[in-house]
Amino acid sequence: MKKAIKRVAIANRGEVAVRIIHACEELGLETVLLHSEPDMGSKAYRMATKTICIGPAASGESYLNIEANIKGALAGGADAIHPGFGFLSENASFAEAVEKAGMVFVGPSADSIRRLGDKVQCKALAKAGGLPLVPGYEGEDQSLERLMREVEKIGYPVIVKAAAGGGGRGMKLIRQASDAQEAIESAQREARSAFGSSKVFLEKYLDRAKHIEFQVFGDSTGRVVHLFDRECSVQRRHQKIIEEATSPSLTEALRRQMGEAAAAIATLGKYKGAGTVEFLLQDGEFHLLEVNTRLQVEHPVTEMVLGVDLVKAQLLTAMDEFVFDDQPRIPRGHSIECRVYAENPYLGGIPSTGLLGTVKWPEGPGRRFEYGFEKGDEITPYYDPMIAKVIVWDESRPRAIRKMIHTLKESVVFGVHTNIPFLIEILNHAEFVNGTMTTRFIEKYFPGALPAPEMTNEEKALVERGLKQKPGTIRSSSTAVATQPLPWQGYWRGV
Amino acid sequence: MMILKTRVAGKDIEAPAEFINGILWIHYGGRTFATEAGPKKKKRHRAGGSSGGGDLEAPMPGKVTKILKSVGDSVRRGDVVLVMEAMKMEYTLKADADAKIAAVSCRVGEQVTLGQTLVAFESESAEA
Repeated sequence: MKKAIKRVAIANRGEVAVRIIHACEELGLETVLLHSEPDMGSKAYRMATKTICIGPAASGESYLNIEANIKGALAGGADAIHPGFGFLSENASFAEAVEKAGMVFVGPSADSIRRLGDKVQCKALAKAGGLPLVPGYEGEDQSLERLMREVEKIGYPVIVKAAAGGGGRGMKLIRQASDAQEAIESAQREARSAFGSSKVFLEKYLDRAKHIEFQVFGDSTGRVVHLFDRECSVQRRHQKIIEEATSPSLTEALRRQMGEAAAAIATLGKYKGAGTVEFLLQDGEFHLLEVNTRLQVEHPVTEMVLGVDLVKAQLLTAMDEFVFDDQPRIPRGHSIECRVYAENPYLGGIPSTGLLGTVKWPEGPGRRFEYGFEKGDEITPYYDPMIAKVIVWDESRPRAIRKMIHTLKESVVFGVHTNIPFLIEILNHAEFVNGTMTTRFIEKYFPGALPAPEMTNEEKALVERGLKQKPGTIRSSSTAVATQPLPWQGYWRGV
Repeated sequence: MMILKTRVAGKDIEAPAEFINGILWIHYGGRTFATEAGPKKKKRHRAGGSSGGGDLEAPMPGKVTKILKSVGDSVRRGDVVLVMEAMKMEYTLKADADAKIAAVSCRVGEQVTLGQTLVAFESESAEA
């Protein structure tokens, strides 16, 4: 029986909220944005049919507050909730609460989330299904003493991860005994603050592995397919920076084998909607890392090489509608995504916040820009630093790399520092160009801050001219970011 | 936003530029530059980096989540003194040199601003 959905609440923010609104609009669905107080200055807020403020800036009181989201969605007259990624997207209790309130949760069932999303249960399921796993400890005993003992048993290096985690939060590396206590406690704190549960598990750290993941999709008839692979080896502190589809590292045989394994575990978990099965590939052998029971940040690269719309597919599946036809889907060309973070690469990547000035994304064939903030919006310190994603498609990987470098150079973001110079350095690095990078790529080649480049004579002349002209002055209304008007002292800082 | 125009070595060049809260932003030749107003740049502390020998200052706006040392404690170079959180990530601030904690001027849970002094050090040798 088909479910009628007329209005979709979005329990998220930033670029993914915009992405969901686009898909809803194309399907003729109205939207209700459930937002925190500071997020009134965002593109999704301006686009949504309705907006409901569900709480203050702190995500625990807004985006992570199940009751506030349910109340907001009901008040907004929504009959479904899309959780986006992060926040409550992998929270089984939330999925349950949505259904209990008489709305449709756009995603897998609470049962599937528990079985696959909880990394500990997922490992048990994978073991039963015969999938290769990374050695580790995923026991219920979460005492510091026990965890420290297990770390010793596994042998260094060991990685400690949030059981409910994702996106690099609640994840710490333990290289030697002296790191163990601080790393475990820090992971527990981050896990509690980001996911509401401090439960962690331990894994042997594979130190020359590639991160390869498979997009899976379960349609309303119960059929689960895989939609090929993405490589996300370029990570910093376990946070992905550059993703691509398909992986330059897989042989056809390996691709088939891993794709089948991905579809198999999703089928075991009775998966419905969009999900991702993550693997680590080292020395030609793959190990299951985790299953993400939600849309991924990097879903656009899959969309680009396959010509699919995963968010629309999620919504159609939630309505029990037909999604994919029986045509064989074969990836074509190559797609790369770069995550644009509001941070200063010349100061080791520390977050940069403030009033956003002019932003220009250079449109062109095979380029796609996903962003949630525009000129006049404030980039606040409360949430994830990702402010945009730049995605390109071209016929081959070398051409896609070249297109991405060009596109990033033409991108203009005024008001906050971004990692764009860092992204360009990575894209130009021989190991990235060869496609042989591992998850330790950043740590190996870019361990610290980027050296700030010397200013050229032309740049100095422009600065001199600019200081005389004071072009297009914008001032923030918020005192928190206003800088004191002090005399010019003439030092430059590259962005 | 406006377009800056100037002439360098006989060549006319132009670039989009904007002043935002007293900082001049320019995009030219595939790069964006910010030029700040203000006194000589203070040494900034890097996330996961060190304190540069002086007092420990917040390298970004954010929340103090853990203070590991108290007034009077001796710290060794590389010891974690304080943990901050911003944009959902934790950053550890470490001591850059062997020293003694002279003052802790922040509390756990406090929202601090960029450059705010969090912990003051005094050198141990001065006491001896």
